[in-house]
Amino acid sequence: MPTLCTAQTSYKKSPGLLELTDQFLQWTPAGSKHPSLRVPSSQASSLFCSKEGAAQVRLKLALVNDDAGYNFTFLASQPVALKERDKFKTELSAIISGNRNGPAEPTPAPTAVANNNKGPTLAATSSGTPTPPSFSQAPTPRSGAQLPPASSDRRGADRASTPILAGTDAAADFRLRRVVLMANPDLLGLHRELVMSGQISEAEFWDGREHMLLAQAAMEGQQKGKPGQIVDPRPEAVEGGEVRIRITPQLVHDIFDEYPVVAKAYNDNVPHKLTEEEFWKRYFQSKLFNAHRASIRSTATQHVVKDDPIFDKYMEKVDDELEPRKERAGQNVDIFVNLFATQEDHHEVGNTKDVTMQAGRQRGALPLIRKFNEHSERLLNTALGEGPASKRRRTDDGTSASLLLSRYFESGSKGKATADDELSQPHDAMAFIRQVRVDLHDWANNLSKLSIERKHGDTALLTMTQNVAPRLETRIRRNEIPEPILRQMTTCQTAANEFLRQFWSAMYPPRSDALQSAGGAPASAAQRATKVAKMAGYLARTPEKVEALVQRARADGVDSERVRTAMKPVLDAAERAVVFHQTKRLRP
Amino acid sequence: MKFFIDDLPIIFPYDRIYPEQYAYMCDLKRTLDATGHCVLEMPSGTGKTVSLLSLIVSYQQFYPTKRKLIYCSRTVPEIEKALTELKRLMEYRVAEAETEEEKIKEQSFMGLGLTSRKNLCIHPEVSKEKKGKVVDARCRDLTNSAACEKGRAEPGSVDLCEFHEGLNSATPGAIIPQGIWTLNDVLEHGKANGTCPYFTVRRMMPFVDVIIYSFHYLLDPKVAEQVSKEIDKDAIVVFDEAHNIDNVCIESLSIDLTRPMLDAAARSVVKLGEKIEEIKTTDAAKLQNEYARLVEGLQDAGDDPATDEYMSAPVLPDDLLSEAIPGNIRKAEHFVAFLKRFVEYLKTRMRVLHVVAETPPSFLQHLKDITFIERRPLRFCAERLQSLIRTLEINRLDEYSGLQKVATFATLVATYDRGFLLILEPFETDNSTVPNPIFHFTCLDPSLAIKPVFEKFSSVVITSGTISPLDMYPKMLQFSPVVQESYPMTLSRNSFLPLVITRGSDQVAISSRFEVRNDPAVVRNFGSVLVEYAKIVPDGIVAFFPSYLYMESIVAAWNDMGILNEVWKHKLIFVETPDANETSIALENYRRACDNGRGAVLLSVARGKVSEGIDFDHNYGRAVIMFGVPYQYTESRILKARLEYLRDTYRIRESEFLGFDAMRNAAQCVGRVLRGKTDWGLMVFADKRFARADKRAKLPRWINQYITETSSNLSTDMALTLSKLFMRSISQNPNENQTGVSLWTVKDIEKAQMLAKEQAMDMENQKAADDDDDDEFSDGGISDSMLVDLDI
Repeated sequence: MPTLCTAQTSYKKSPGLLELTDQFLQWTPAGSKHPSLRVPSSQASSLFCSKEGAAQVRLKLALVNDDAGYNFTFLASQPVALKERDKFKTELSAIISGNRNGPAEPTPAPTAVANNNKGPTLAATSSGTPTPPSFSQAPTPRSGAQLPPASSDRRGADRASTPILAGTDAAADFRLRRVVLMANPDLLGLHRELVMSGQISEAEFWDGREHMLLAQAAMEGQQKGKPGQIVDPRPEAVEGGEVRIRITPQLVHDIFDEYPVVAKAYNDNVPHKLTEEEFWKRYFQSKLFNAHRASIRSTATQHVVKDDPIFDKYMEKVDDELEPRKERAGQNVDIFVNLFATQEDHHEVGNTKDVTMQAGRQRGALPLIRKFNEHSERLLNTALGEGPASKRRRTDDGTSASLLLSRYFESGSKGKATADDELSQPHDAMAFIRQVRVDLHDWANNLSKLSIERKHGDTALLTMTQNVAPRLETRIRRNEIPEPILRQMTTCQTAANEFLRQFWSAMYPPRSDALQSAGGAPASAAQRATKVAKMAGYLARTPEKVEALVQRARADGVDSERVRTAMKPVLDAAERAVVFHQTKRLRP
Repeated sequence: MKFFIDDLPIIFPYDRIYPEQYAYMCDLKRTLDATGHCVLEMPSGTGKTVSLLSLIVSYQQFYPTKRKLIYCSRTVPEIEKALTELKRLMEYRVAEAETEEEKIKEQSFMGLGLTSRKNLCIHPEVSKEKKGKVVDARCRDLTNSAACEKGRAEPGSVDLCEFHEGLNSATPGAIIPQGIWTLNDVLEHGKANGTCPYFTVRRMMPFVDVIIYSFHYLLDPKVAEQVSKEIDKDAIVVFDEAHNIDNVCIESLSIDLTRPMLDAAARSVVKLGEKIEEIKTTDAAKLQNEYARLVEGLQDAGDDPATDEYMSAPVLPDDLLSEAIPGNIRKAEHFVAFLKRFVEYLKTRMRVLHVVAETPPSFLQHLKDITFIERRPLRFCAERLQSLIRTLEINRLDEYSGLQKVATFATLVATYDRGFLLILEPFETDNSTVPNPIFHFTCLDPSLAIKPVFEKFSSVVITSGTISPLDMYPKMLQFSPVVQESYPMTLSRNSFLPLVITRGSDQVAISSRFEVRNDPAVVRNFGSVLVEYAKIVPDGIVAFFPSYLYMESIVAAWNDMGILNEVWKHKLIFVETPDANETSIALENYRRACDNGRGAVLLSVARGKVSEGIDFDHNYGRAVIMFGVPYQYTESRILKARLEYLRDTYRIRESEFLGFDAMRNAAQCVGRVLRGKTDWGLMVFADKRFARADKRAKLPRWINQYITETSSNLSTDMALTLSKLFMRSISQNPNENQTGVSLWTVKDIEKAQMLAKEQAMDMENQKAADDDDDDEFSDGGISDSMLVDLDI
C-alpha cells in the first residue's frame, strides 16, 4: 500500500502522524503502532483549509455521510506545514474529484434543502443527476484547487474550455465569477434560476461567458500609473502685476521627483541660508526654474531673469548638443530597433542633407525633446521598474506574450486569501433568508406597537451638545501658531516625508522592480545604495531644520514646545531611518 | 507546404499561402528563367521576404547551376530579420526533406549576413570605440598582413588581434559550420570560439549560397570593390525595400569637402612627407620596390583583398587597372608634392564668397590652367594614395580621412564628365553671414552607380512594398525589366483605413506648405488631430513630419500652446532626436509603453532614421499620422540641379519627380503600421494637398484602392467619427474563414493553376477565333469612329 504523503499533525489535540495512501487516510497517535483513525478515501467528499496566514495550519476533511468530518492541525513550522498541507490538498482533491465522477459510488440523493445548505456552488452538481460522460474525462484540478469538490471537477471542465484563465488559480477564478455575478443582477438571477436549481451545470453556464471573467480579471489587473503630465507650475496672474504660484505639498513632491537638483538645492540651503519661503520664491524667479520649464518661450525670457547667486550654481549646462550629454552607452538595444547599427553599417557617403533635414538645427527644441523622452522613460520605470528592457528580446512572440500575460494576471492572485476564507465557511444564503423572513414576520404590526420613551431621547441630545461644545472650544483656541510658521512646518514635513519615502523605497524596492530586474540586479542594487546614502544624508539634517523652526517660533513669541511636539513624529521617523541606515545593510 | 510552379518544386514554410505571394513567386520565377531584371511591388506585411527567399532557395536547390543569391536590404534590423526568416525556411526545408541525400543537401546550404566591423567586433578594446571609422582603423592596424607577418615572426613585437589570429587555424571554407547564421549567431559563435566574426564572414563569402548585406556593399564602388568583386556573374541580386535605391546610388558617388577637411588633409600631406623622409634614411629599398611595382602596373599591388583594405578608388573600370600609374606621381615625394598642390588649389577655391556651380570638365580646365595638374594623374589619385599608405605602413588611418576624401574627390572628378556637378556653397543658409563653405561634388544620375550591377549580374530584382509608380524606376535607373508588376492586397476585410484630413474642425485648411505651416491655426489644427487620436486610439501612435526642422519647431510650439499637455493625459510622448543611440533607446521605451498598455506617441520624421526599417506592427502602431506632405526642400541647390538633369536627360518633369518622391515617402511611412494580415491600423494623411487626385494616384495601388471618395476630403471631426467606427468594427472577431479567399492551401493553388491553364487555352481559342474574324472583316473598310469623326 504505497503512501502518498505523510505529515505530523494533531487530531483531537493529540499529536500523531497523518498518512495518505491510495486507499485510506489514516492517523496514528504518537507512540502507537496502529492507526487509531482510518478513513477510506473513497468516502471523502469535501476538503477545507484554514486560510493562508492563519496562526494554525489546518485541514478539514468531510465525508460523504458525515459533514462534521475530521480536523487535523499541522504541527511543523509554518512554511513547512503549509507545504505539507498543500501536498495533502493536491492529493485529496484529486481523490475527491475522482469520487465525484465515479458512478460506482452510490451517493444518497440529497434533498433540495440540503443542497441549499451547502451553498450555491456545491448545490449545482450534487443534485444527484448522473454526470455526463464528458465530465468524467475532465482533467483533475490543479494543486491550487481549494474549493469543495463538487465544484472543483467543474472547474476542470471550465479550464479546458477557457484556457486563457489557466494562469489563475481556482479560488481567484471562483471569486471572479462571484464578482461578475454581483455586478450583473440579471445574470445573477439567471444563474440562480438555472444553476442553483441544477438545470445546467456551472461549466455550461459559463461556457461562452469566459470573456466576462477575462474582462473582470483584466480590469482588476490594471493598476493606475502616475499621471503623465510634466510638472509645469504655471503662474497665476493676480491683480497688481504680480504673479503667484501656489505651492502644494504635491507640487513640492513632484518637483523634487522630476528635478533632483532642486531637492539637492533645498537640502543644501534650507534652513541655513534661506527659509522655506525664500527658497521657493527665489527658485521660481531663477534661471534654474526657467531652464526646467524648457520651452522656446522660456529661452526668450532667459535674459530678463535676474541672476541668483544661489540657484545659478545649480544650473546644468543646456543639453542641446547633437549628442546627448548623458552617456547612454552600454545599453544594448534590441537589434530590431537599433538605429545606431544601421548608421555604423557603412561609412557615411553622399552630400550633406539640406538644412531642413539636419536633425537638431533648432537647438532650443533639443532640451525639450530630451526632456520628453526622459520624462516618459521615468514614468515607465515607475510603473515597470528599471529593468533592462533590452533583455526581453522580441524575436519570439510567444514567450513575450506569455510573459505579459503572466504579469497581467499576477495581481489577480492577490485576492486568493480572502476568497479562501469565504470558501472555508460556505454561505448559507437560504438559511439566512429564512431567518430574515421569520424576523420580519408581521413587521407592520410590530412597528405600530413601537413606542419610544421621551427621556432617552433627551439625554442623547444633551450628551451630544456637551460633546460639541468642547470641540468648538478647541477649534477656536487652536490657531496659536501663526500662519507663516505653520506653512513652513507643513513644507518641512512634506519634504522630510518625501525623503523618507525615497529612502524606504530604495531600501525595500517594490516587488515589480525585483521582478523586472532579475537580470540586472547588481547594477540596480548599486544605484539603490547610492540613493539610500543620499537620502540618509538628507534625512540626517532634518533635526537641524526642525531646530531652526523652533528657534524661529521662539523668536516670534510662539510656544516653541508646541512646534517641537508637532514635528516630533517626523523627527522620530527620520531618526529611525538614519539609525536603520547605519546599522543595516541594503537588502540584496 | 510543397507545390509546383511549372516544374519547379517550391517549399514554403507555412501551410497556407497568400494569393499575392503565389503570384509574386510566379513572376519572380519568370524573371529568373529569363535571366532578366524585374520591378515588383507587393503590399507591406504580406510576407514579401519569405516568398522571395522561398522561391529563390527552391530555385537554387533544384537547378544544378547553383546561382548565388545576393540579398540587399537597407538597414541592419532588416538584414537581421531576413536572416531570421531564411534560417526558419532552411529549418523547415531540412525537416521536410524526403530522402537522406536531400537532407544533407539542405543542411549544407549556407547563408550569412555582413555588416561593418563596428557591429561585429568583439575585441575588448577596439569594440568600445564609438565611431565606426576608428574601429575600422584600429582593426586594420591589428590585422593587416604586414603587421601579422611581423607579429608572427617575433611574437610580442606588434599588437595583433587574437580573434583574427584565431581564424588562422581553421581551413578556409570551413571556418564555421554549414547552415544559416544571423548576425547575432555569428557574434555568439565568435565569442564562444575566440574568432573574429567580421573576418569569419568575409572569408566565408566565396563559399556561401546566400549573402545578405546592405545596398552600399554592392552600390558604393569603394566598398563593392573590396566586398563584392569576386561574386559570379550569374548570381541573383535582390534589392529589397528598394524604393529609395536611386538615392543610395546617388549618395555612393557624391562627396562633400569642407574647410576643416582640407586643413586636415594639408596636415596629413605634411605628415606623409615627413614619413617618406624618415623611411628614406632607414629603409630606402621599400620605396624603391614600390616604384618598381608601380612601373609594372597596378594590378599586382594588391595582396589578399580580404585582409588588406585601406581604401579603394571610388570607381575604376577594369580596363584602367591594367594601365600603369602615370610617371609624374610614381615617386612618393612627387606624389606628395602633387597632393599638396591640389589641396592648396581647393583651399583657394573655398575662399570665394559666391555660389559656384560648374561641371567636372570646366573644373578640370580651371585646375589645369592654374596648377598644371592633368586629368590622368588625378584619376589615379586614390589608388596611388592607397599604395603609398601601404608602403609606409601607416597606422591609425582614421586620422587621414580628410586626405582620403580629397583623393576620392580627385578620382571621381577626373573620371566622370556627365551626370555630375560641382557646387560651391560659401554659406550654410541664405541668411548666415559667417562663411562655412562646402564644396559639393554631387552625382545627378542614379543609373551611373547601379550600371555595373546591371551589367555584371544577369538577374536583378528590385522590390518593395511601396515602389509606385513602377515605370519611374526603370526610367531613372536605365534598365529594361522583364517583369514589372504591382500586386493588390487580398483581404477578407479591410484591415486598414486611410483617411485624408484636409481641414480642422474649424474648417481651416491644414497644410505643411511653407507659407502656412507656421500659421498658429494650422499648428493648432495639426495639434488637435494628434490630441484627438491620442484619445481614441489604443496603444501606439506614430506621427511623421516632413522635416526635422519642422518637427522640432512644431514640438516646441505645441508645448507652449499646451497641446502636448493634453496628449500627456492619454499617452507618453517620445521624439526622435539627432542621436541614433538616443533615438534607439526612445524607441525601445516606446515599445515598452505600448506593451504595457500605457500607450505612447512617437514623433518622428519622414525620410528620417525611424521611417526606414523600423516596423510598427500590431500594438506598436495602431495609427500613423502623416503631418503634411513630405516634399524635399526645394530651395536646395543640389535638388535643383538634380531636377534639371532629370528633366533634360530623362524627360521627367520637376513637379512629377517631386510629387513622386514625396508620395513614396509618405506611403513608406504609413506602410510601417501594417505588417501582416492580422494587423490593423489607421493611416491618416493630414494635409489638404493629399486630397488631389494626382497626388493620390502616386500612392501604391494597395493603399489607394481603399481611399474612398468620402474619406478623401475630411475635417478632423469627420475623420474621428470614421476612425471610431472602423475601430469598433475591426475589433469584432472575424468569423468568416479566410481560407480560400486571402489564404490559400495547396489545393487552392492547384485550382488557380488549373484555372490559369484553362484561361490560357480559352485565350488561345479566342485568339484563333479573333484571327478568323480579322480575316473576314479586314477589308480595309471604314470604321464607325471614322464615320463619326467625318465632317461632312
